[in-house]
Amino acid sequence: MHELSIAESIADSVRRHPALQGGRKVRRIGVQVGDTSGVNAEALDFCFTIVVRGTELDGAALDLERVPVRFRCETCGHEFEPVEFDPRCPACGAERGRLSGGDELSLAYLELDDEEPGETRE
Amino acid sequence: MTERVTVRENVLKENDRIAAGLRAAFDRGAIFCVNLISSPGAGKTSILEGTLEALQGTAVRAAVLTGDIQTERDADRLRRHGFPALQITTGGTCHLDAAMVRRALDSLSLDAMDVLFIENVGNLVCPASYDLGEDVKVVVLSVTEGDDKPLKYPGIFRRAGLMLLHKMDLLPHARFDPAAAVADARRVQPDLEVVETSCYGAPGLEAWVGWVRSRLDAKRAAGRTLSAEP
Repeated sequence: MHELSIAESIADSVRRHPALQGGRKVRRIGVQVGDTSGVNAEALDFCFTIVVRGTELDGAALDLERVPVRFRCETCGHEFEPVEFDPRCPACGAERGRLSGGDELSLAYLELDDEEPGETRE
Repeated sequence: MTERVTVRENVLKENDRIAAGLRAAFDRGAIFCVNLISSPGAGKTSILEGTLEALQGTAVRAAVLTGDIQTERDADRLRRHGFPALQITTGGTCHLDAAMVRRALDSLSLDAMDVLFIENVGNLVCPASYDLGEDVKVVVLSVTEGDDKPLKYPGIFRRAGLMLLHKMDLLPHARFDPAAAVADARRVQPDLEVVETSCYGAPGLEAWVGWVRSRLDAKRAAGRTLSAEP
């Protein structure tokens, strides 16, 4: 259960992002969670809600995108989603699939209000 | 109206930054650093006790940082074997992070060590995410656990450089297929090295200790080559 630490890291990264200058409100935070990242998306969502409660990020929604395990065949270059890490390439049959995706844990995007608070539109 | 800003950065960027600093310090000191990871009870502390015993009286100076959620027990055990051992008590956190290691190293002299063993908190999930600046993650899989662990916990096997198949002396009593465990682990990490170990009886820890010593030698040789370059 390290989702609480991960949630804190996400909140810290977001707060440090230069796009937030001027106090712009964050609406959505896109996070990619790879299947082998060891992070449980549901627990992360729950922890994030707690971590940001009462802060400037309160109310920002986490958009968690699951990234499935991907293999790339070292013989023919074909990319595929393996079943239980079976390295057999469906294109050429070689048993040379190597993990090429699915272990990411990354901040993908921020969705921010256009206007700074207090700004009035004429 | 809202605006979408693309970010694309690792969530654990700050941990990675601290880990990079640690790695640079280990490289400068030609210190070989092992991050030892397993489920609770797989035998990490016993392996380290045997390893320290084996290194006593050799030219290799070891040091240990051992992570635990609550107690000081592991450091107490490890200090009996002639090398410095420091407990990192995480107070509930299920893994070590780079900042905890950096803080702990404030009270150990990097000049006085050749090999640093970091015993992570017993857990096959969370420690995989946190780079501690180590040269290699070593995952311990004991034969009293299931041989299906590599596919159940692919994250850690994917990031490990060496797997210790441990408690091999108990293999006759365990329903554990070592060949299947190795094959599954290599599906996740084709370059994974495997060494069989036990703390009691054969095969012992000799092959593992030899592996550590050869990796230390290789690191020193690489450091000399680098510093000899103009």
